[in-house]
Amino acid sequence: MTTTAVPAVGEDEIAAFRVLHARLGDAVETAVRGKRDVVDLVLVSLFAGGHVLLEDVPGTGKTTLARAVAGALGGVSRRVQFTPDLLPSDVTGTSVYDPQTGQVKFRPGPVFANIVLADEINRAAAKTQSALLEVMEERTVTVDGVAHAVPAPFLVVATQNPIDLDGTYRLPEAQLDRFMLRTSIGYPSREHELDVLRPGSGAGFVGAVPTVSNPHVVAEYGRRLQTLHVADPILRYVGELGAATRADDRLRLGASTRGLKALVRCVQVFAASRGRHFAVPGDVQALIVPVLAHRLVLTREAQLAGVTTEQVLQDVVAGVAVPRPSSR
Amino acid sequence: MIARSAWAALVLVVAAIHLGSGWQGWLPALVFSGTVVVAFACGPLVRWRRVPAGLTLLCLVAFALAGGYWVARDTAETTDPSTVLLDLVPRLLTAARPAPATPELLVPGVLLVFGIALAVAVSVTGRSLLGPAVGVVVLYTCTALLTAGRADRYGLVALLLVALLVLGWLLLDRLETGGRVLTALPFVPIAVVALLASAVPTSGAFEPRELVEPPVTDLGVSNPLPQLASWANLGPVELFRVRGPERAIRLAALSDYSGAAWRAASLYGPIGAVAAPDLPPGGRTAEADVEVTIGELTGSWVPTVGRPTSVTLDGAMVDPDSGSLVLLDELSPGLSYRVRGVVDVPEDGDLMRAGVPSGDRARRYLALPGLPFSLAEYARQIVQNARTPFERAVAIEQVVKTGRVPDAGAPVGSSYARLERFLFGAQGEPGAGAGTAEQFASAFAVLGRAVGLPTRVVVGFQPAGGDEERVVRGSDATAWPEVYFEGWGWVPFDPLAGTSSGGSSAAAKREVLDRLASITATPTTTALSAPPPFVPPTAPPQAQATTRESRQWVGLLVPAGIPVLISVMLVGLRTSRRVRLKRAGAPGAWDHVLDGLLLAGHSPPPDRTAPDIARDMGSPPALRLAELADYSAFGPGGRVVGGSEPWRLARVVTSGLKRRTRWPRRLLWPLDPRPLWRRR
Repeated sequence: MTTTAVPAVGEDEIAAFRVLHARLGDAVETAVRGKRDVVDLVLVSLFAGGHVLLEDVPGTGKTTLARAVAGALGGVSRRVQFTPDLLPSDVTGTSVYDPQTGQVKFRPGPVFANIVLADEINRAAAKTQSALLEVMEERTVTVDGVAHAVPAPFLVVATQNPIDLDGTYRLPEAQLDRFMLRTSIGYPSREHELDVLRPGSGAGFVGAVPTVSNPHVVAEYGRRLQTLHVADPILRYVGELGAATRADDRLRLGASTRGLKALVRCVQVFAASRGRHFAVPGDVQALIVPVLAHRLVLTREAQLAGVTTEQVLQDVVAGVAVPRPSSR
Repeated sequence: MIARSAWAALVLVVAAIHLGSGWQGWLPALVFSGTVVVAFACGPLVRWRRVPAGLTLLCLVAFALAGGYWVARDTAETTDPSTVLLDLVPRLLTAARPAPATPELLVPGVLLVFGIALAVAVSVTGRSLLGPAVGVVVLYTCTALLTAGRADRYGLVALLLVALLVLGWLLLDRLETGGRVLTALPFVPIAVVALLASAVPTSGAFEPRELVEPPVTDLGVSNPLPQLASWANLGPVELFRVRGPERAIRLAALSDYSGAAWRAASLYGPIGAVAAPDLPPGGRTAEADVEVTIGELTGSWVPTVGRPTSVTLDGAMVDPDSGSLVLLDELSPGLSYRVRGVVDVPEDGDLMRAGVPSGDRARRYLALPGLPFSLAEYARQIVQNARTPFERAVAIEQVVKTGRVPDAGAPVGSSYARLERFLFGAQGEPGAGAGTAEQFASAFAVLGRAVGLPTRVVVGFQPAGGDEERVVRGSDATAWPEVYFEGWGWVPFDPLAGTSSGGSSAAAKREVLDRLASITATPTTTALSAPPPFVPPTAPPQAQATTRESRQWVGLLVPAGIPVLISVMLVGLRTSRRVRLKRAGAPGAWDHVLDGLLLAGHSPPPDRTAPDIARDMGSPPALRLAELADYSAFGPGGRVVGGSEPWRLARVVTSGLKRRTRWPRRLLWPLDPRPLWRRR
């Protein structure tokens, strides 16, 4: 078997991507004000082919963000409110009998969209959660032995409320690992909140988000950016950071290889969004917390001591020598 | 950490064993090695966090000094601790060489080794691996100074130490960092050695013993020359026995001639402790080691071979210039000792072309106060066709030998009058044309001096060859002259018919004589009634003092020149680093900026990326340079980016750093060696 080397993404493509990325970000920001860093992370996940877990209290704009991204992208967006009685077929779709044709016909569920907002994912039963997570991984829904592909690009933005945990089903670590990024939106600044409150400002109103691209273009860029150059020292650095998490005695579970691979994938998109056709160590440092923090498991002692995985990762970054340009 | 300490301790133990060669026996090497081990055992004590490291170090040093004082206090003339300790070094430098392994003389070595080993044990835990190298250099230099370079004549120990250091640098780096091996680093000591070898003068080496006054004793020993007749009268009586190689046995070398008699040197010092001879030894030497057992020989003069370097006699003292050995007590029958000496063994070819010293250096060996015109003229005629100093000496030897007979009953003495009668006396006069070895040797020496050959007379014995153990009898006593040739040392001549005292081969002399005979007749022996007075040389003592002072200045200038040499070396290394960085383009320029940061006293944390560091500096050119360097280091394809822009930016950034740095750091900027071992 022979493989054909795909040419690496060129500087012209990167320049065009940077413009597109900026326009997408600007478009989303017409609805979600003052959260450019979170918007950028969601866009990174979109182009990297991953999914985002937003952990935040209600009313901070999670749904708005997901719908604004879908609006700017020009794709289809769906929202699923997860409840304890939600069935897997409510998410993925089901086969129904069509009396007119006399045939069984597949009726697609809400996951058949470019952007799927899985609201309060931890409120659904484990079986339903698994159904969604399986689609996230496989990007197909299999019903009655027939596989149905979801559209590309496919981004699941799941939300969790970290405060009200009564009657919830906590996502197991193995399933958390399937989310490429975890982040939180947080409350807007005083200035931006005023902007949102001001009548007629357009903030929080998804209908005003301009469509600046189309799903096909986004999917193509996602494919091309996989060829962005990541130098060996950067890959070694990522490996050393992963090894350091595994050696940290405050962690019961360190970063998985899938987690590190996701980090590299995000780094590629992040570097392109900054107009570079190569990754630098700073990209790794910027993304390590949102990409890896939700994949790590603290020991009981560390939990009791109030340590968070974010703090552990910051310590790990501070303890591993970053590769710098050197004449040697 | 353990590997580092073990390696550092190993190289220091080797250097300490080498230092032990400055003392007699194997005990000092053992003591110094043990001291290294003790110092390294104290290392964890210094790193103990409950007590400040400085306090621990202070206590250890104070403890060591107190121990040194306790050991040396009984042998000192005072009880003041600082005086006792400070006096130890002069005492070591004025002791015999190698120094006796007495406790008080070992103290300076132990304190030196302890101090260095402790400093190395503390420093080796840091990132730098230069500590052991510095320690080894100091110990090796001290050994070389203490032994006048004899301890490592062929540089084998130096090679071993360099090899151990290089191995440590290569292997430890690989073991500990798992990263790149610093292949360039081993060239630093090699460069240092090469630089020192090229810069250090090969002649007039620094001798620390010249800085202390050697303990000389005025013995006033009598001249042994007149005793030749009495020994001759003893005939077959056994004076002493010699076991060892067949060499002439020397008793005393007489260098000072007053016109009336030869005088023996009167100031003597411990063997090994006194300064080098006024005229340096020759380029070809051989060592001889003999065992002497005294029989009927009396007096203070100790039979020896060549220029003695060691003798197993307590209380033996030596005249550094002549190498004559005397004993404070008289020789006694049955006294046995071993003596090792160095003999000049030039080859015929060497002597044929050799010159002789003149002027102040040789004034003592050319002095002829009130030389009669007859002798001066006679000497001039003898050598009128000789071209080289060696030919002159051979001609004089031949003339003195020809027509004169040895006579044990001839009148003694070596005054001008006695020599004139010996050389020109009319037939029938007592002592005319006949004499003992004293007259033959003196006549040669005086005639030689008259024509500019530095000469002296040696009193000794020429025992008959034979068995391993030779019996030296009264009849073996003799005297012979020696001539000093520049670069080849003192060469004996044989004007006494029928005896031989070594020196150049007969064939060479025959060749010279054949050439001279072909162009000259036998010299006339014209005696003038009123010979003009010979003007004696003046003011030699002052000139010698000036020479000695200038040598001391050289001794002081050499240590003062070492910092200059090191500074030049550091500037050179820094410049070569800059050239290397310049060739590396943008990453090299960024390295240059990091060097500047280090010199300005900032060290960025290891997790800061290049753009982070540039942002911390608040310098837009630095940020631009960091981006270029990142591009070059992590971008695809070629590594050369930005052309000359990176170095232009680097210069802007470093000059900005310099401006913000305080002047003491700025002053040392081009010399500071820290960038040389900055790893990242």
